[in-house]
Amino acid sequence: MKYSLIFVALLSISSLNGVETTQEMQMQNTESASNMPQSQEQSAQSQIIIDDEISSNNNEEAVLSQEEPLIITVTGQGVAPLNTTSPAQAYALAKRAAIADGYRLIAEKVKGVRVDGQDLIKNMMVKRSTVRTSVHAMVRHANVVETAFKEGLCEVEMEITLSHSDFAQ
Amino acid sequence: MRSRDGNHSFSLRLCSIIFFFIISSAQAEEYYISYRYVVKDAIIYNESLDISPAMFTCNGKTYDPLTLQNNNSKDLSQILLRHSVEFIDYLHKIGLHVDHKEETLNLQNTSTTILTLKTKCFKVHFNDNFVKIAPLK
Repeated sequence: MKYSLIFVALLSISSLNGVETTQEMQMQNTESASNMPQSQEQSAQSQIIIDDEISSNNNEEAVLSQEEPLIITVTGQGVAPLNTTSPAQAYALAKRAAIADGYRLIAEKVKGVRVDGQDLIKNMMVKRSTVRTSVHAMVRHANVVETAFKEGLCEVEMEITLSHSDFAQ
Repeated sequence: MRSRDGNHSFSLRLCSIIFFFIISSAQAEEYYISYRYVVKDAIIYNESLDISPAMFTCNGKTYDPLTLQNNNSKDLSQILLRHSVEFIDYLHKIGLHVDHKEETLNLQNTSTTILTLKTKCFKVHFNDNFVKIAPLK
C-alpha cells in the first residue's frame, strides 16, 4: 500500500513535469513559428536587394561623360551571294554586307530604333502580325577591328569612339 | 651690256616660267562624288560610285585628305578604280548615312540596309606620283 502510494505520487509528479515540458515545447514551437516568417522575410528582403544590385549591375548602361570617351563595339554579319565568280569576290561582298550590318548596329545603339507593330486578330485568332523597325543615322569614324570569314558568313567586329565633344552644341 | 650679277632678267624670267608651270600643274580640280550600296537580307544587292567633274567651283575647307599612288594619270575614275578598296574604306571613314528598314511578317524577317554618301564635292590634287583627295566642308 505504501509503495503504491509512493508510485502514484511519483507518477503524478512525472506527469506534471511532462505537461510542463510539453508546454515549454509548445511555447518554444510557437516562438519559433512566430520567428520563422520574420526570418523568411528578412532573407527574402536580402534576396531582393541582392537581385536588385545584380540587375542594376547588369542593366548598367555606359553613359558618355565629359572625362572619358565611350567605345562601342558591335559585330556585323554578312552573307556572300550565291552567284559569285570567285571566292575572293564572295569574301569582298560578304564583308561589305557585314560592314553595313555593323553600321546599322552602331546606329541602333547610338541613336535608337523606331519600332511599329500591328496585329490583326479575327475570330479570336491572329491573322497577321507585323513588326516594322527602322533606323536613320549618320555614322562616321567607325573602325573595323577584326574580320572573320567562315562558311560563307563574314563577321566584322567594329568599334566607334564617342567623345563628349561630338555631341556638344 | 651685262650687269655685274650676270643675266638677271633672263634668270628672273626663267624662274617665273617655272613657277607658273608648277602652279598650273599642281592646280586642284574639283569633283562631285557620291556612293551608295544596298544590303538586302544580309546579302549585298547593289553598289554604285558616281564621279563627276564639278562645273562650278566649290566653296569650303578641305579636311581628312587621302593620298593615293598615281602613275602620271589625270583620270580620277581610273585611279579610284585601281584603289577602290582603299577609297571605299576612306568613304566609310568620312561618314555614311544609314537607312535601315526591317519587317517581320508572321515571324518571317526581311531587312534592307542602305548606306549612302550624299553627293559631296572633293578637291583633287593630281601629281606625277600621287593624288590627294579631300572633301570640302
